[in-house]
Amino acid sequence: MMVCENCQELISDYIDGSLELGEQVQIERHLADCEPCRAVRDDLLQIVHFSHQLPLHAPSGALWTRIEGEVAQQRGHWFRSLPWLTWLRTRHFNLSLPQMAATAAAIVIAVSTVVLFARQERPAPQNAATGAAALGGLDVNPLSSSDFQQIEKQISQLSESVEQRKVEWDPELRSAFERNLLYVDQCLAECRHQLSDNPADYVSQELMLNAYREKVRLLEGFDNF
Amino acid sequence: MASITNALIMSVTAERSPAASDLELARAAAAGDTSAFERLYEQHHRRVYSLCLRMMGGPSQAEDLTQEVFLQVHRKLGSFRGDSAFTTWLHRLTVNQVLMHFRKRGVKLEHTSEEGDFTNVIETPIQSTRRISMVDRLAIDKAVSELPPGYRTVFVLHDVEGYEHEEISGMLHVSVGTSKSQLHKARMRLRELLTKK
Repeated sequence: MMVCENCQELISDYIDGSLELGEQVQIERHLADCEPCRAVRDDLLQIVHFSHQLPLHAPSGALWTRIEGEVAQQRGHWFRSLPWLTWLRTRHFNLSLPQMAATAAAIVIAVSTVVLFARQERPAPQNAATGAAALGGLDVNPLSSSDFQQIEKQISQLSESVEQRKVEWDPELRSAFERNLLYVDQCLAECRHQLSDNPADYVSQELMLNAYREKVRLLEGFDNF
Repeated sequence: MASITNALIMSVTAERSPAASDLELARAAAAGDTSAFERLYEQHHRRVYSLCLRMMGGPSQAEDLTQEVFLQVHRKLGSFRGDSAFTTWLHRLTVNQVLMHFRKRGVKLEHTSEEGDFTNVIETPIQSTRRISMVDRLAIDKAVSELPPGYRTVFVLHDVEGYEHEEISGMLHVSVGTSKSQLHKARMRLRELLTKK
């Protein structure tokens, strides 16, 4: 025989329909004979019923203005907090001449490499004149063999001079020089490869000329050490 | 380029359609359309605020929390894929935000036992047949705000917001039995509060 204490302990589960059949039958028998427990059941049913339909409240009208302002601020903060931008903004560049030369060389090489790879995916123009025309009148001057010879001669002289100075360099400086020289030579090798396939490729010619110039600047920079 | 085009298309779609769906608005807002985000706010802020108000107990805290919820929404809109209804997603995000607020502030929902369960308060059965008279939504709403935080949280989640005990158990890190027990006590306390009036 169920008593009021047991009935009221289980009455929420009874209302929610989560009791097992045996307990449900016992409660219903008790409720049939117990007015106080019936009153509890009916009140809880009302509470549950009305709780599903509670009125909505509205915040103050200023809340959207606050949120909008915060969103705008966060957007600005997000942009300012981009890692590379922060790095650029806060970094103090104090480079020596060879370091600057090396940096410039690296940039030129990186750009050249990207252009070269992009070029590989497009058919090369039939000849330099066609290529120049395709560029809409850009002033493109294909390298003559004498240009190459002159630059190679200059590089050769500078290389000899730098080789003599290298013995006095500290390991760090030597490593920086060799690393940058390697990048330039790789770029030159890539240009040569492109030109061997298509000697009239004016873009590769330009890139090669730039790489040669960069090599000259690199050697000149390190020749002062 | 394609993403910019998509953002423009979504923005135009959200603006032109008077009944743009939540998903369309969410996508446009995620792509940077502030007016779409404002429309999402207009459509849902009352529900979010009401939930915050009921669980927090005060309008000032509820507004702060509502602001935090919508800032979270703005940050996470990109991850909303539309697998569930936007209202469900927003609702769950709101509840999580409230519970996280409780934890951050060290607010204990109710006294807990060593096992982490809520303490069971022994209550004597009600022998009175005095009935709640003229119960209406406003009276219940006010009485809910007078419940102790632990009771109120479980009651709001279950009876007002419609979560199951299993879900509440996961949210509050308590057993299902504890959730049921707190709900029952909350209802009985509410009855007591409403009978007094």
